[in-house]
Amino acid sequence: MIKIIMNGVPVSVEEGTTLLEAAQFIGFPIPTLCHLEGLSPYGACRLCVVEIGEGSKSKLVSSCTYPAEEGLRVRTSSTRVVKARKMILELLLASCPQSKVIQDLASKYQVRQQRFRQEHETCILCGLCSRMCSEQMMAHAIGFRGRGDHRSLGTPFDIKSEKCRLCGGCIYVCPACQLRCTYTQPEMAICGGCANLSPPCIEKKPFDDMMCYMSPCVACEIKKD
Amino acid sequence: MNKLQSIDALDRFRSQLLREHKAHNGKPTLVVCAGTGGQASGSNDILRIIKKLILERNLQDKIGLRVTGCQGFCEKDPFIVVEPGGHLYPKLKMKDVERVIAAALKGTVDEELIYKELWDRKSYHAQQDIPFFKKQKRTILGDNQYIDPIRIADYIAHGGYAALGKVLRRNDPEWIISEVIASGLRGRGGAGFSTGKKWEFARAARNGLGQKYLIANCDEGDPGAYMDRSILEGNPHAIVEGMLIAGIAIGATQAFIYVRSEYPLAIKHSLIALRQATDLGLLGKNILNTDIEFEIEVVRGAGAFVCGEETALIKSISGYVGEPRQRPPYPVHRGLWGRPTCINNVETLANIPVIITRGAKEFAKVGVPRNTGTKIFSLVGKIKNTGLVEVPMGITINTIVNDIGGGPVGSARIKAVQTGGPSGGCIPASMFDLPIDYDSLVAAGSIMGSGGMIVMDENTCMVDVAKYFMKFLKDESCGKCYTCRKGTQRLYEILEDIADGKGTEAHVALLEELATVVKDTSMCGLGQSAPNPVLSTLRYFKHEYARHIHDKRCDAFVCKGIVGAPCASACPVGTEAWRYIAHIQRGEYQEAYNVIREANPFPSVCARVCHHPCEDRCKSGTQGGDPVAIRALKRFVTDRIDPRSYKPVHVHDEFAASHKIAIIGSGPAGLSAAHYLSLKGYKSTVYESDTRPGGMLYSAIPSYRLPRATIDKEIESITDENISVRCSMTLGRDMTIDTLFEEGYSAVFLAFGAHKSLRLNLRGEDLPGVYPSIQFLKAFNQRGENLSGERVGIVGGGNSAVDAARVALRQPGVKNVTLFYRRTREEMPAFEEEIEAAIQEGVHLETLVAPTGILQEEGRLSGVEFINNQLGDFDESGRRRPVPVPGTQHIVPLDTLVVAISEGSDTDCVSVAGVNRIEVDPRNGTIKADSDTLVTNRPGVFAGGDVVTGPNTVIDAVAAGKKAAVMIDRYLRKEPLKQPSALRLPRHYVEPTNGHSPLQTKRVPLPRIDMDKRKHEFVEVERTLTEEDAKVEASRCLRCDLDFTHPPEPEPAIEEEREQLV
Repeated sequence: MIKIIMNGVPVSVEEGTTLLEAAQFIGFPIPTLCHLEGLSPYGACRLCVVEIGEGSKSKLVSSCTYPAEEGLRVRTSSTRVVKARKMILELLLASCPQSKVIQDLASKYQVRQQRFRQEHETCILCGLCSRMCSEQMMAHAIGFRGRGDHRSLGTPFDIKSEKCRLCGGCIYVCPACQLRCTYTQPEMAICGGCANLSPPCIEKKPFDDMMCYMSPCVACEIKKD
Repeated sequence: MNKLQSIDALDRFRSQLLREHKAHNGKPTLVVCAGTGGQASGSNDILRIIKKLILERNLQDKIGLRVTGCQGFCEKDPFIVVEPGGHLYPKLKMKDVERVIAAALKGTVDEELIYKELWDRKSYHAQQDIPFFKKQKRTILGDNQYIDPIRIADYIAHGGYAALGKVLRRNDPEWIISEVIASGLRGRGGAGFSTGKKWEFARAARNGLGQKYLIANCDEGDPGAYMDRSILEGNPHAIVEGMLIAGIAIGATQAFIYVRSEYPLAIKHSLIALRQATDLGLLGKNILNTDIEFEIEVVRGAGAFVCGEETALIKSISGYVGEPRQRPPYPVHRGLWGRPTCINNVETLANIPVIITRGAKEFAKVGVPRNTGTKIFSLVGKIKNTGLVEVPMGITINTIVNDIGGGPVGSARIKAVQTGGPSGGCIPASMFDLPIDYDSLVAAGSIMGSGGMIVMDENTCMVDVAKYFMKFLKDESCGKCYTCRKGTQRLYEILEDIADGKGTEAHVALLEELATVVKDTSMCGLGQSAPNPVLSTLRYFKHEYARHIHDKRCDAFVCKGIVGAPCASACPVGTEAWRYIAHIQRGEYQEAYNVIREANPFPSVCARVCHHPCEDRCKSGTQGGDPVAIRALKRFVTDRIDPRSYKPVHVHDEFAASHKIAIIGSGPAGLSAAHYLSLKGYKSTVYESDTRPGGMLYSAIPSYRLPRATIDKEIESITDENISVRCSMTLGRDMTIDTLFEEGYSAVFLAFGAHKSLRLNLRGEDLPGVYPSIQFLKAFNQRGENLSGERVGIVGGGNSAVDAARVALRQPGVKNVTLFYRRTREEMPAFEEEIEAAIQEGVHLETLVAPTGILQEEGRLSGVEFINNQLGDFDESGRRRPVPVPGTQHIVPLDTLVVAISEGSDTDCVSVAGVNRIEVDPRNGTIKADSDTLVTNRPGVFAGGDVVTGPNTVIDAVAAGKKAAVMIDRYLRKEPLKQPSALRLPRHYVEPTNGHSPLQTKRVPLPRIDMDKRKHEFVEVERTLTEEDAKVEASRCLRCDLDFTHPPEPEPAIEEEREQLV
């Protein structure tokens, strides 16, 4: 067992436990986006950063990937951490404002504005779909291509995949795909609203008859009336 | 080559090689640098010629040739060093090679071709005396000169693999590690981690997977850095030996050299070296018959900067996309394929044989505590001696930039040095006394990095620098971390907005906030250091950001979105030179005149005497050709258009009409202010202490440059019914500021110039025959008095000095005229055209002399004692300080001495003690006024022009007058004086005609009158261009404005007509 001190609270965890798991165990809230239980941690979104170390050697690390070390002092909501989280949420809102997950997170951390040029991207490159496809569905059909500005997610060379079994797992886990239903334009939100957003990683056609995964789907509710 | 069977065999082989070398000793050797830089500069041609000549003339036994890798003196490539003697012949042309060979065979030096310093014209026969080399300590790089990289024999003869022999004999890996720790060697890749410690961890690491790996990191990604390349190209065996020793120390048997694909020569030379080492038995199994085994494989990078980061590099070697991962676990514990891996930089490894051979203690003597040894820097940018320099740690930036680097190239001052590449920061010139070591650079906000050092001068825009590095980083980020990927993109976006003139104050705060978060939350070094260029430029150059954001100006004329057309941007009054030149080309001379006149009420004057900052920034000129002759074209227009044809628009405003302004001084500043106030509806009275208006135009600028009639005509066209000029009225004597306010003036503008010549402060300065320059010029220009004796001397180097010289030359009875300046010709502040004209007309120029005494005979000047100067160290202005050479005093007999060292202002009239005194600068009497608003310390009193700045140019005075009108207007209307500025970009579209010849890089010759007509008359020297020449010159304009303007939409009516025709 390894003993760490989180926000002043001593806690013993098994070897190999990440700081995120330790925090969730005790009950300290840490926001995540690219983390999903059952999939390996990736550390892309940086929302889960926590502060470790002392004085000039203190630094922020992603708690989902950092393993617990004996005697480590961790702070999950220091000023530095909160500032970082807010800026990350601003960046997310600036790119992907239509995602319900991102909007809810922003609300929760009182981020009400973003100061950058507004973009409407449909992918935040969190890698959840790729890990879902590889680790849970064992299909390995999609992955990251390119670097930096040109990083994207899809099949190798954009060739139609033979490995893809159209399970829809990638869409299920995608945070960007989760459209805030109706919001300002109800007529644009049809059921299967997530498919309406053209997930970038796969072809859309086979999903025309897809079921709506959002529950409850407000658009469906409105349409009923 | 046969495999060497033992360490002794290696030693014997070395001795044999040394004997062979001795036999050839005495024979001169030509050493040619053929690294990548050398080859790009043409060393291959030099080599071809050398080989041809040697073969043709059967010189094989008389002269040797050694082809080496990069030696670091890249600015002077292609060069040959003749050994022994170290004679360096720089920047050779193919035809010079023969002479070098001839001199080498004779054992002499070719004086014409040998290395010379440009500023003191001294020849340097021995390489180690050359300033570039003198202060370096070329422990690693120096070897490149003695080794042909594709001959292992050269390396061995030079002492190579002796360290390996020592290590193998000793057979104690722990000893190796303790030596490296004791040496204090820190990783040269940038992080500066103790190499010995890293090896200790690597040695101790055991995770049951057996195999350990060693990797040499040669993925030098920093733009501008090429140190590792030069080591690997020029001395690959040093790396091999270093890797062998490292492998023995940590217990690794397999190693990789990770080289970026962009280094084909380094890859080639490494492969050759590995093959030769293997053939000799220095690599492979049972090295030199011991039980040591070591294999090295070369792996090529695929063009990603992020693969320089060790975990990404490991991923790349294993065949995956280079993406960093979180550390811990560190590669020494879990690295390549999960096994302990030690990654060292190429330069670090090159230091290892040195440490083993010389011993850790000796090694640690170089440098400073905790930062031992030397470091190779790539010194690039705006510096004379571009190249690679190796210096001991702890040396100051000053020494590198000035002593080794040779100082600035051109006249622009060096303002900063950027270290550490895209992860680093800049150090401003004020901090150049900083010693270079890992810790002091971090404290200053930068990092050592891999050793890139980019020198930046006044023509570098720091906002552009930050933008450039951010673009690089945004493209190179692996993209995994959201904050790094999006953060670098957004930082770049904001910098782009600022550079395009769309920046706001909020942007600066946002930049800092975002930069901090990117730094904090990124997982790997790239993201963690990506914001450094932004943070560093904000820390030291915030004023440049402020200029871009608030004033919408880029003072380095780099940011195109702000500068627009450089000519218009450079003009202090914003004259759209591109626009009137376009009109000239179309034959629309009246339109051209209107464009000129709108911006400048003194077009004819400026067409003759302006110092044309527009031409200095003309893209035709900065791209390597001649700048467009803008001033001559302006003269062409103003000479043929009557100024009365321009009818400026006057505003009729009751508020303005009820105010009157007092302006002191009728020079260009005062009259411009009066004119623009009049356009706004204000009345003004211009008070002039001389008998006629014009200021310095009249009293200082001689008529062969500016005819009196031109001044009169111009002033006449400016003066309208709102302006009244009252001459022979002096402030302080006939009126004071208080009396002016009492008389009902609402504001006062002080613009009475700088007419008081500064004194040499030598005894005898008041003797007859010695004149301050302004007095000398005024005497002639205003009263026609000739003050010159037979032999005239002028002390000074500015415009009034040159004017005085050319005036003296034209006066009767003058036998010779000499100009004495204390610095060099290149540093003279006078306009280059004026200096050239003066010399052409016969003025003698004596440089590097300063007056020390004035001699008299019978109560009159008889001569002046001068002392010679030599250029010494650089001072704060970035120029070499002139230092008197003792014992060089000499007397020059003179009848007239004109003191023209500078002018100040006679401001006693306003600055004498009292409650309402105006503050002045005590050194030269100039009035203290805010440079943005022209306010003085007294409300309602503004000041501008030479009386504030000291002697300056006509157009700057006009600009001050123009600004004064705006400020006075705002002041009277109680509006804020400082208001946000607008972008000044070209807006009017002028259609280009056919006959554009922008490839014509030479100017049309500007017509001047003959020399004999000039010397004895005061006729105007410059003439007007012919219409044909003017059109040809105008067609050379590159039309930089067309990037910003576009033709109007075609009229719909015409479209209909077209349809009907069909």
